[in-house]
Amino acid sequence: MTTRLQDAAATPFALEMLGITKRFPGVLALSDVTIQVRRRQVHALVGENGAGKSTLMKILDGVYAAGTFQGSIRLDGRPIAMRSPADAKTLGIGYVPQEITVLDNLTVAENVFVGAWNGRGARFVRFPRLFDRAAALLERNGIQLDPRRAVATLNASQRQLVMIARALADDPVVLILDEATACLTRDESRTLFRIVERLRDRGMTTVLITHKLAELFEIADRATVLRDGTVAAEFDRSAFDERRIVAAMIGRTLDAFYPTRDSRIGDGEAIRVERITVPHPHVARRNVVEDVSFSVWRGEILGLGGLVGSGRSEVVNAIYGRIPSRGSVWVDGRKVVIRNSFDAKRHGIGLLTEDRKRDGLLLDKSIRENVSLHDLRRISRFGIIDRARELDAARAFVRKLSIRAPHVETPVSTLSGGNQQKVVLSKTLFAGPRVLLLDEPTKGVDVGAKYEIYRLMMDLAREGIAQILITSDLPELLALCDRFLVLARGRVADTFTKSEASDARLMLAATGG
Amino acid sequence: MRKFVESIRRLWAIPEAGILAPLVVCAVVFQSINPTFLGESSVSAILRAMAFVGMIAVGQTWLMISGGIDLSVGSVAGLCAITASWLMKAQGWPVPAGIAAGLAVGAAAGLINGVLSVRIGIPAFIATLGMLYVARGLNYLLCKGYPIYPIPDALKEFGRAEPLGLSWAFLLFAALVVLADLCLRRTVYGRMVYATGGNVEVAAIAGIPTTRVRIACYVFTGALAAAAGILLMCQLNVGQPEIGTGWELDVIASVVIGGVSLFGGVGTVVGTFLGLLLMQVVRSGLVVAGVNTHWQTVAVGVIMVVAVGVDLLRRRTKIS
Repeated sequence: MTTRLQDAAATPFALEMLGITKRFPGVLALSDVTIQVRRRQVHALVGENGAGKSTLMKILDGVYAAGTFQGSIRLDGRPIAMRSPADAKTLGIGYVPQEITVLDNLTVAENVFVGAWNGRGARFVRFPRLFDRAAALLERNGIQLDPRRAVATLNASQRQLVMIARALADDPVVLILDEATACLTRDESRTLFRIVERLRDRGMTTVLITHKLAELFEIADRATVLRDGTVAAEFDRSAFDERRIVAAMIGRTLDAFYPTRDSRIGDGEAIRVERITVPHPHVARRNVVEDVSFSVWRGEILGLGGLVGSGRSEVVNAIYGRIPSRGSVWVDGRKVVIRNSFDAKRHGIGLLTEDRKRDGLLLDKSIRENVSLHDLRRISRFGIIDRARELDAARAFVRKLSIRAPHVETPVSTLSGGNQQKVVLSKTLFAGPRVLLLDEPTKGVDVGAKYEIYRLMMDLAREGIAQILITSDLPELLALCDRFLVLARGRVADTFTKSEASDARLMLAATGG
Repeated sequence: MRKFVESIRRLWAIPEAGILAPLVVCAVVFQSINPTFLGESSVSAILRAMAFVGMIAVGQTWLMISGGIDLSVGSVAGLCAITASWLMKAQGWPVPAGIAAGLAVGAAAGLINGVLSVRIGIPAFIATLGMLYVARGLNYLLCKGYPIYPIPDALKEFGRAEPLGLSWAFLLFAALVVLADLCLRRTVYGRMVYATGGNVEVAAIAGIPTTRVRIACYVFTGALAAAAGILLMCQLNVGQPEIGTGWELDVIASVVIGGVSLFGGVGTVVGTFLGLLLMQVVRSGLVVAGVNTHWQTVAVGVIMVVAVGVDLLRRRTKIS
């Protein structure tokens, strides 16, 4: 510990990555990237998908071993070389990966000290000691979790905290949070940031990798913007400016980040739902959605607000017939019976699900096979698929949504998040829906693709398609929607139009104020 | 040279390459050991031996691509052969009725397997293992442990005929391979099978009736098991209660060697055909080479594991 403090005097930087260049066959992933992270600061690393953030982090975490890239890394002023993630851990890099990898059936304490349960030399795990160690660690870092609790009973943000505690258990010099808030609600993110702030006060240096600019403003002391494998810009907190940061990220200025609506809401009701009630899947006599009614006009975008767990996703999934529910649905003025997704699709409803990797795409199939999936009849005759027609359809969507891929035969698993999402959208649109249910359409999507998705939504509105939007990105919700319906604990808490809408009103309703 | 490397790379990228290469190598090696190996009678024997297990393997290919698996196919084949021969011999049913009843029993077994695993949610492995025991038991109850013979003359003739120097069973199997492969590749239904096996949620959202697709694959497999059992009965000229014993292992081995994923969504019927061919070539080759027959069993095990290993390797090189 003393040596670390002495070295600390030599340089104000906790972590320096100097002149990092990394080549893959045929691709220059990083070109002369230099990042210097000051001690006791929260340093944000932002950039679109494919900008090189992941590659940089894999170098820092030892996944790409020393020697496979050019440049040097210094920790507390001393040069370090890592051959594996285990090396990175021992040297003081506390990396918290994007995916939450916890062992559900074990306790918080076992997860925090995963792999090091028994301490040096001991052959058996001594649980009282393990719990004590965990309690001390959590206490020290201001994380409120019961070490004896089973991880299976924790929510997403608490699991994230377990992951952070795991990284802190090795007493790191820098803590790296890779998209830590991707699965968290605003409130949960706030709680997380409070802990990060506390860690900073106690001397911890943190690198925060994020997509969300709001987080930057909330917590970062300094930000580095990566674009196309190079450092595009650096900002100190005093110079933070949303437009300048976005411009640095995408390499051009956006006159307005959110497109303005250029069409009128059409006449006629596209969809009306009455008293939708979704029973709780496991608990008897409890509902996750209760008596929710609303209607959406042709060409209108309805924002479904509320916290994660308020029943937003359940409403759209119930309308699409994916989960059992009671209540009635009218499409284009006609009452329809929806028992399953087939019925929903037949009546002109389309759904984009929240998690494209889980239930949005056939990952190892090509763009072509994914796009055509929702309307195989259109590309076939007498049950036999017409390959030429299928190709035409796929190419048309690749062009229309500017999906960036080498070929329509490219497996979608190799595409970036934004392009994958565009494939999911193409697939849904291929069936020609008149009502579109969008559950987190911009989650894990880079800024450029986000903007393209917004523009597409405006185009669809102009074509008269009714849309229901769910998003955890509050500014996005406020900017895109014409009308809002806020849910809290499965019930309608508030409903208002764009002119009456505000950040505060939405949050107040969502938190049941 | 570069062009050569490029063409090898492209060959390597064809899904069936992983089986075709060892198949050619094995054929060449056995031919050099014993020049009669690729002779007419030897090839004809290899092809004829494939037909029964092969037919079921086609069904199993569809089933495994849709995300299911059926361990009961051998027992069901035996039960259907015995049912058909018993109905024709002991009950005096006419030939077409007896055969139709045999096929119906196979389809019904498949339907039960499908409903148990897809609708009720009993893991396919357990549900079909149960059916394996039940069908085998019913088989012996029906025939009391004794072979049923004679079977009607028409079937005897049919089983003994040698059209094109092969057998009707093989020709039916060959036709089935072509038809099943085309259907899987080219039809809407085939696409639904791939989608359902690839990701059942994605398929359901696309409006595909996934439950029906999955159960249909079980019924298809059951009916083909019945067909294979009845065809072997014709060839043996007797309703042998042991028909189909152990077939499930050969079926699954050849499907897996052929490149079908145990997790569903991946594979082709042509791949399975090549897998069957590879297994049969190695078995016959070892006999021709004069190796102790028990080495055949060892060889099949090794081939299966190596084939899956090569397939994994191939996928990895393609992605990076």
